[in-house]
Amino acid sequence: MSLSDEDRRKLDRLAQVMLPGSVGMSGASELQLAHAPVDRVLRIEPALAPKLAHFLTRAGFVGSLGDVEALAQEDPEEFKALEVVLANAYFMHDTVRGEIGYPGQEARDSSVGLDDRDLALLEPVRARGAIWRE
Amino acid sequence: MSDTSSDVVIVGAGPSGAVAALELARAGMAVTVLEQGGWVAADEFDGARPEWELTQLRKWHPNPNVRGRAEDYPIDAAQSDVNPLMFAGVGGAALIYGAHWVRFMPSDFRVRTLDGVADDWPFTYDDLAPFYEYVEEAMAVSGLSGNPAYPDGAPCPLPPLPMGRVGRKAAKGMNALGWHWWPGSNAIPSRAYRGLQPCVLRGTCGTGCSDGAKATPDRTHWPEALKLGVRLITGARVAEVETDAKGRACGAVWIDRHGARHRARGDVVILCANGIGTPRLLLMSDLANRTGLVGRRLMMHPYAGVMGTFDEELESWVGPAGQILVSMQFYETDTSRGFVRGAKWNCMPAGGPQSFRAGYTGGTLTEGWGAALHDGVARKFGRSFEWGIIGEDLPDPENRIVLSDSLTDGDGLPAPEIRYRMSDNTHRMLAFHTARAVEAMEAAGAISTEVTPLIRDCGWHLMGTAVMGEDPETSVTDQFGRVHDVPNLYVFDGSIFPTSSGMNPTATIMAVAARAVLNLIETRHTLAPSQ
Repeated sequence: MSLSDEDRRKLDRLAQVMLPGSVGMSGASELQLAHAPVDRVLRIEPALAPKLAHFLTRAGFVGSLGDVEALAQEDPEEFKALEVVLANAYFMHDTVRGEIGYPGQEARDSSVGLDDRDLALLEPVRARGAIWRE
Repeated sequence: MSDTSSDVVIVGAGPSGAVAALELARAGMAVTVLEQGGWVAADEFDGARPEWELTQLRKWHPNPNVRGRAEDYPIDAAQSDVNPLMFAGVGGAALIYGAHWVRFMPSDFRVRTLDGVADDWPFTYDDLAPFYEYVEEAMAVSGLSGNPAYPDGAPCPLPPLPMGRVGRKAAKGMNALGWHWWPGSNAIPSRAYRGLQPCVLRGTCGTGCSDGAKATPDRTHWPEALKLGVRLITGARVAEVETDAKGRACGAVWIDRHGARHRARGDVVILCANGIGTPRLLLMSDLANRTGLVGRRLMMHPYAGVMGTFDEELESWVGPAGQILVSMQFYETDTSRGFVRGAKWNCMPAGGPQSFRAGYTGGTLTEGWGAALHDGVARKFGRSFEWGIIGEDLPDPENRIVLSDSLTDGDGLPAPEIRYRMSDNTHRMLAFHTARAVEAMEAAGAISTEVTPLIRDCGWHLMGTAVMGEDPETSVTDQFGRVHDVPNLYVFDGSIFPTSSGMNPTATIMAVAARAVLNLIETRHTLAPSQ
């Protein structure tokens, strides 16, 4: 299911209000979130598209979070689909990940195990002795 | 209808079914296993992909009602405080478990004697200890031996995973209060081990391990079982356990993914379909329920959490997840607290940025958006972790599963309906424990804390619905899972647990299954039809 130009304009406006950008994080408009990033999410999870489309059909011009809230209250399930689409489009974006210092769920070496600092932390636990009940 | 025959038919290829199938095959018995799900390859899991947080909302969600795969059966949980969670596949729910590996405590087996509640188990911690050790070798358990919460220190075959910044932060808080903690033990190898890859701390255990590291029965047990000739049939939903004219189990009728019915005959039938699936099947088959106990005493471990946020970078998306630390400080009964029994704590990483997206205060639907979203992520992401709390859930015959009279699965079989309410004891227990966990966070330096008093999607631990015991008037099976009413029918999963403990149960499910199947092998001569 592809979004119409009108749907995409509405989605773009919703995204700007819901993700305005702040404290070092880009806003939706800078990222053109309503285009390729949203399409990426819908490719991975196409089941979101019908509810998103219904929400956008109902949506008029939104100027504030208060306007979005009113739409959300009309159908919380459809709003949830919008939330999932926008949040994932945003946090899957490489720019945003870089801005918040998130490399994704990256691989690291687990064989380092516990070091001397960790074992030192355990000393008082060992010193208190057994706590199990017969 | 096809018709096959073997010595033993097992229903379910998860942790208990895998233990049973492998041991029976090693003993030279012909085994057929019926599994309603299929195989899931490591590269199907999304942990290493950017969409990890997206696909866990449906595709890898632990609630079958949300996931909605063809092999799942729906569950009516409208009358339950907690949603039961599971996964249908070779390896069972372990495919998406957190691999928290903890033994029950000695007191867990003696709650009637010690605390005057529920029932003692028909065996003790010492009886089960050799079987714990046995399954821990198979499950590549990493941890630090010498935990003073156990009489034998709960030895682990592999060295522990790293604690990381989160673990050190949490440990300092616990030390400041003089409270017990210990590095977490997990069924996740810290070294390459018997075909398992070493853990890479990706922190996505609960949505499946994409690295082939986490110990799950499809990797730890099934390869050898298949080599030994076990016949594993996937996509096989069992509709009924059949009995002969003498009332003995003689096999199972199963339905394939095209709706065709088949018969698998066996001299012995073992149910390993979890604490919901097993009583559902017994009820559908009208078996083993002379006492009316099948489906009753359901225990699901209501789970609470306390999230702490700190003013320093903790890299709190890094695994294991997995448990980084555990605490049994408040595990044992102290009646001055206003409840009996206790809870285990597990220190967990906080995951990716979307963990901090939503508003959880019960306010407006959009409160977590706009500038608040950016502020919340900047303040919390990478700087937060959780103490999770598993409270012991005492058995109550009114907490139960029944067969729905209105909801069916994709094959027209009645779905389970859950009737479950948290007890007053559990409410008081979780209130006490969350208050202590807030103190632990504050002692560690948290600048803010958030308490989740009950997480509805928490019913991972399904126990008690075909209770074992020595008295056929008050139990469904004997201490080896042998059904009192049907002597060649067994239950090996968590359904037979008399009590739940406050621990993650997979270690005990597998140890109890190992103990039971070895008894079955030793006593198989008594199972001949003439006996």
